[in-house]
Amino acid sequence: MSISARCALAAAMLLALRAAQGYAQAPGPNENATPPAQMEENQRALRTREFLGLGRQPDAKLASDGEKIFGPTCGFCHGADGRGGQGPDLLRSPIVLDDDKGELIGPVIQNGRPDKGMPAFSSMTEDQIRAIAEFLHMQVELAANRGTYQVQNIVTGNAQAGEAYFKGEGKCTTCHSVTGDLAHIGSKMEPLDLQAAELYPEARNNDFGGTRPQRQVTVTLANGKKLTGSLRHLDDFYVSLTDAQGQYHTVATAKGVKVEVEDKLVVHRQMLDKYTDKQIHDLTAYLVTLK
Amino acid sequence: MKSRRLMVLSLLVSLQGVSVAQILDPQKLLQAEPTDTWPTYNGDYSGRRFSPLMQIQSSNVSDLALAWMYRVKTSGPVRGGINPDIKSTPLMVNGILYFTVPDHVFAVDARTGHELWHYDWVDKGGHLVGNRGLGMYGDWLYFMPPDGWFVSLDARTGKERWRKKVADEKMQYFTTAAPMVIGHHVLVGVGGDAIDVQGYLEAHDPETGELQWRWNSTPRKGEPGSETWPNAAAMEHGGGMTWLPGTYDKELNLVYWGTGNPNPVMAGQGRKGANLWTCSIVALNPDTGKLVWWFQGSPHDTHDWDNTETPVLFDGAIDGKPRKLLAQAARNGYFFVLDRTNGASVVSKPFVPLNWSKGVDAKGQPIPDEAKEPTVDGSYLTINWGGGTNWMPPSFSPQTGLFYVNGTLGYALVYLTDTSERPEGYGGFGQPLWSQHILEALDYRTGNVKWSHAYTTADGTQGGNSGPGALTTAGNLLFTGDYNGNLIAFNAANGDILWHFPALHSLSNGPETYMLDGQQYLVAGAGDTLYVFKLAPRRP
Repeated sequence: MSISARCALAAAMLLALRAAQGYAQAPGPNENATPPAQMEENQRALRTREFLGLGRQPDAKLASDGEKIFGPTCGFCHGADGRGGQGPDLLRSPIVLDDDKGELIGPVIQNGRPDKGMPAFSSMTEDQIRAIAEFLHMQVELAANRGTYQVQNIVTGNAQAGEAYFKGEGKCTTCHSVTGDLAHIGSKMEPLDLQAAELYPEARNNDFGGTRPQRQVTVTLANGKKLTGSLRHLDDFYVSLTDAQGQYHTVATAKGVKVEVEDKLVVHRQMLDKYTDKQIHDLTAYLVTLK
Repeated sequence: MKSRRLMVLSLLVSLQGVSVAQILDPQKLLQAEPTDTWPTYNGDYSGRRFSPLMQIQSSNVSDLALAWMYRVKTSGPVRGGINPDIKSTPLMVNGILYFTVPDHVFAVDARTGHELWHYDWVDKGGHLVGNRGLGMYGDWLYFMPPDGWFVSLDARTGKERWRKKVADEKMQYFTTAAPMVIGHHVLVGVGGDAIDVQGYLEAHDPETGELQWRWNSTPRKGEPGSETWPNAAAMEHGGGMTWLPGTYDKELNLVYWGTGNPNPVMAGQGRKGANLWTCSIVALNPDTGKLVWWFQGSPHDTHDWDNTETPVLFDGAIDGKPRKLLAQAARNGYFFVLDRTNGASVVSKPFVPLNWSKGVDAKGQPIPDEAKEPTVDGSYLTINWGGGTNWMPPSFSPQTGLFYVNGTLGYALVYLTDTSERPEGYGGFGQPLWSQHILEALDYRTGNVKWSHAYTTADGTQGGNSGPGALTTAGNLLFTGDYNGNLIAFNAANGDILWHFPALHSLSNGPETYMLDGQQYLVAGAGDTLYVFKLAPRRP
């Protein structure tokens, strides 16, 4: 297999993998389709919340209602996002963090804190308090649950400079083609994934649910005999492979045994020591234009 | 009834009066390198994890054989879907091993592996990332469940004596530390980084659990150190968690502790300045909690590189002069050697390639490169996203003069997601690109790599949130493990592999050794199982 074919295969496998990850968590055909990427994000948020012990998931609709009350009523002192201004940061308030559905936050809103200069909002209804409380719980969630973090626009580079790098200094065209393996890559991948993959195509495979592409290995025994096949295991002591006939072999990697693992990404690894931030961002800006 | 109780009480009092033998003589804690006991997280106060035992040595280590295994039987995967790994280093006292996973304490017969008791805590929150183990004072064990409690157990029965609240899990503090006993103090550290909270270290009375002192790892308004924060609000976001045990020099009467990252973790725009005493090594008086000196490993950290890694204590010769030293392989990729009497820098040198710093200042502290802070479009790092190493215990062998650390080479992109003027939480994330685990033996005088071993694997990128610790012995051995489930013994002097054992999971704690009935034992925790080895009897 030529080098460029190998690279293309690696890129194709990566795309297939991303698709599989999305669909594995997608709803059935008759449900309202949530985009796969969105589902993945929700799963990530749920898992992170559970792992961190953050408690229940705030209700987005109620929190949105609360935002409309909180902003004009409370934002002046506490900031529109509740992170504090002339009044305290409410995201780290023990009252907010101990509260569930307004039972602790409510009395503070209704009675105020005259000693600290907070007026009473005695006319606030129970529903309004409940909504404000939910808004604050959502603000806590959005800060504390890193599974909810939203990446902002990462495409800040210069596409022309990226193209020049791709075809020139980066020597990307040695293996890749924008009409071949990378055709429409800007439509197939999110910029965030694209930026990781351009540096190291297997980078995103570490995320949960990911598997790695199969590698080929050649083992040369001390007597010169060669075994070739798909790599099953490799450590400091053993190499295991399945050969073309489906036969499984394990060899102790003692002295005199040579193990050569096919390495499609050696050039990518060598490049890792060479990039500047500008080159990376320019390259991303160029690749996203390949719609 | 009442009188009977009084009688029992007075009997107990009189028994205590005549000083009934305690399971662990507190004097034992002051002994360097005990061989019949492993009484603290690190085996002794130095943090060296070096044993003078040499029944097992490089010439016979290949005869090591499994004596028994003990598998933790909890209810399976815990909250968050992770299986509990044994990250604690068991205490071995009087033939019994005491160890933990989050929410659980176990006492197991060190000769047979039979369980003596199991203490089960039902948590109301807290991060289940790990638990580092126990502290012991006389007959009492000290344990920290994840939701901010400090619990004392009777080592004989596993029965709870009392519990004290030391951190609020609703504020997103969590507790994973192994309490550290020094004299009449039990030092307990805290963790937390989901919501921005202030770090601290507390000392409690070993008998009553009452608070003796608290050292805040970030200053309050107007206090020394506050000049390294832009304002009081930023200071209140805090950080500087104290989640790994420290080390102690009894002659200097100083306890050395590493502190974690500042908050918000990756969004540093609201906290311009060095942010003392986060990401630092601090020397405290254990009787008062007063700060004596400090060295900041990562001024103004924005990469989640806690500086909590064990500060290892040993004496050595620098330029021909004897020095009392402290060495740390920090998560930010630097190897630091300090004079532990005053914190003066001896060596500050990267042990893995890195590009986040522009060199070191006059104090030997790295100077962060602002351009390498997380950015919205991704900032490129030539160091592993999780850092050059992590919490896993390193080892120093006075026999070889080498400091052993399991490190990681790697590359990453770091993104900023919270661009607010008042960021909160992590505020960003890291994207690992490629990484490779590597064992390094460092010369403490220069920081130069004497030898290293890159663990062979099917692919360069290896994951897992556990990491293999290290143990050295006078048998010229270094015990550690790879990320493929192998426990490995290296020739400590030159890095040759002498023995390995394929476990069901990669090594997840620091291995330990001790002598029992004239036999040297090796204990390693890998995943949910303890593996215990001794030399197989030789055939005549």
